[in-house]
Amino acid sequence: MKTPMSASQPAPKDALTNESISLQVQLGRLKLKNPVLVASGTFGYAKEMAGLIDLPKLGGILPKTITHHARPGNAPWRTVETSAGLLNAIGLDNDGIDYFIENHWPYLKGTGADIIVSIAGKSHEDFIVLAERLSPLGLFAIELNVSCPNVSGGIDFGTDPVACHRVVSGVRNVIDCPIITKLTPNVTSIAEIAKAAHEAGTDAVTCINTVLGMAIDWRRQRPLLANTVGGLSGPAIKPIALRCVYQVASKVAVPIIGVGGIATIDDAMEFFVAGASAIQIGTANYYDPLVSIRLIEALPSAIRTLGASGLSEVIGTLKSPGSVAVKK
Amino acid sequence: MTHTFTCDRAANAVSFISTEILSHRLIARDTWQLTVSAPELARRTVPGQFFMVRLAQCNDPLIGRALALYDVSRNAVGERDAISVVYVVKGKFTQSLSRRSLGDKVEIWGPLGNPFSTLATDRLVLVAGGVGITPMLTLASAALGKESYGEPVAPSGYAKRVTLCYGARTAEYLAGLDQFEARGVDVRVATEDGSMGHRGRVTEVLEELLQQSNNSVRVACCGPEPMMEGVGKVAAKYGVPCEVSLETPMACGIGICFTCVAKIRQEDGEWDYRRTCLEGPVFPADKVVW
Ligand SMILES: Cc1cc2nc3c(=O)[nH]c(=O)nc-3n(C[C@H](O)[C@H](O)[C@H](O)COP(=O)(O)OP(=O)(O)OC[C@H]3O[C@@H](n4cnc5c(N)ncnc54)[C@H](O)[C@@H]3O)c2cc1C
Ligand SMILES: Cc1cc2nc3c(=O)[nH]c(=O)nc-3n(C[C@H](O)[C@H](O)[C@H](O)COP(=O)(O)O)c2cc1C
Ligand code: FES
Repeated sequence: MKTPMSASQPAPKDALTNESISLQVQLGRLKLKNPVLVASGTFGYAKEMAGLIDLPKLGGILPKTITHHARPGNAPWRTVETSAGLLNAIGLDNDGIDYFIENHWPYLKGTGADIIVSIAGKSHEDFIVLAERLSPLGLFAIELNVSCPNVSGGIDFGTDPVACHRVVSGVRNVIDCPIITKLTPNVTSIAEIAKAAHEAGTDAVTCINTVLGMAIDWRRQRPLLANTVGGLSGPAIKPIALRCVYQVASKVAVPIIGVGGIATIDDAMEFFVAGASAIQIGTANYYDPLVSIRLIEALPSAIRTLGASGLSEVIGTLKSPGSVAVKK
Repeated sequence: MTHTFTCDRAANAVSFISTEILSHRLIARDTWQLTVSAPELARRTVPGQFFMVRLAQCNDPLIGRALALYDVSRNAVGERDAISVVYVVKGKFTQSLSRRSLGDKVEIWGPLGNPFSTLATDRLVLVAGGVGITPMLTLASAALGKESYGEPVAPSGYAKRVTLCYGARTAEYLAGLDQFEARGVDVRVATEDGSMGHRGRVTEVLEELLQQSNNSVRVACCGPEPMMEGVGKVAAKYGVPCEVSLETPMACGIGICFTCVAKIRQEDGEWDYRRTCLEGPVFPADKVVW
């Protein structure tokens, strides 16, 4: 049964239906139709998924990170499965900004989905050039990947608050769309970097990119990845990602997009309660390709479980640990 | 780098299903045939295509594994309704899978990748090494016109004769010989220890065959990379067209992770990393930079 409602009058809680639950969220200047996005590098250029998923249903799509010049990427093996996780060193395999604008952008734009373009630079200037090239396209939003662990150069912007501030404010000067800064967990204080990005004018931060790791074949006495080290993702890193979201949420007033190991509706709700306003699905797209749509469908009833009438009432509602249960 | 699509997803929708194991039997040493009910996949998949398979709701192993279509079976009224895959117990996933029994659930999505070509030939020579046998049964059946695959139905009956050159470590590892023979395939075996057929390499069997042949011949090959490279060289020596099905490690099978790249020669003569799940797994042997 659907209850008629006026926009100004919130529905009484007991009259809430799944249809009446609002999934819209606002992160700075960024307005999402729902909070479930797909993470950069885990959804190709969206075309690959068109035969599986109704793309405009997603809260947003982040195509694979693009760089100024084409990069062949690392030699295989590029990924290795570890316990409940995946270790990767793809090496930002992409054809560069010109190819992207000419060949991927027309398709992406035509999908009707909200596309957030992810960029990475080796230098400060790279980021600025990329943003300048993308500016005329009228992007929905841009994500600055200052956190890829597989490319030397890139990671410094995510570990040094001064460099991070400079990149974000530099990009803000040349592009009008909302800006998201994607952070690495491979730092002592992720909140410090988030604060720098926030002060430089980022609309939101994405927590987290992959966690630096390694896998070894001891019999051959060799690393399994051609790149020796790589980034860990998947359920194995969810506790790290949750901790990062919580730490940023408690110290910086910047909207957060949570990512890291999300695969179920419980995972998703944990991130919202911890302080994320939206989430990205990464590795789960590989082993459960319909997961993003399933989570969007499951959200309203999970939100109702908490007696809330919309997602915004759930975000950052984590309570203190409280007292230990007493034995009867 | 990435690039063009030879696989049009919008036109070739991928089905994702969670389904029960209908039959699971040991067909050679460490080698299992798994059959699941999957009418849509059974109708749509063609020889050379593959599926991603995963244990339902399991976080370890987490990632799906690529397994080639082995066979399609029909129900009592003749409709294609079940598919089989064949796998060798090797590591994490295949060990877990081999412990699953009837009624257990697996998740499977496909059909994925591009098939073998269906060009007319007097003789189609299939060269398989080890578990590289898996794509060959449906390919032989289609080529000889014993079965048709795909929706709309793909060409069949395009080879007058099909010969399988099959190499394995020992006779115990040879899988499905009776199934090939029942479909009219002329089977030649090579084992490393000589426990059956030619003692030595399958490339030697192929070379002998190509030396004697004066009709139009095509080769299709699947197996370990060094063997496929060798087969490609033998085929080139005799001027015979050869396709290989690469088994690069994959994480998604659907083109979104960039794990599965292989060096593929481009028109300008240079190689480029290409996603084998999307642009392969079948490539002309002379396009692969080994
Ligand atoms: C298109 C395609 C079709 C295939 N069809 C079949 C088939 O029909 N039947 C079949 O049995 N197999 C097939 N395979 C191989 C299959 O996908 C699995 O790789 C295989 O079953 C082993 O999985 P596992 O989990 O048991 O082993 P794993 O635990 O993954 O490891 C097995 C071995 O591979 C090594 N290895 C682990 N990670 C990597 C990596 N990232 N790169 C390279 N090597 C690694 C390990 O060291 C170990 O020796 C196919 C692969 C492809 C790409
Ligand atoms: C194979 C692979 C490739 C990735 N490529 C990118 C990339 O190009 N740009 C980026 O910002 N993040 C990339 N990531 C990181 C993911 O977007 C995500 O932040 C991370 O994997 C954690 O989320 P997950 O555990 O849900 O995968 C990649 C991750 C994987 C596994
Ligand atoms: S296996 Fe993921 S792109 Fe091919």
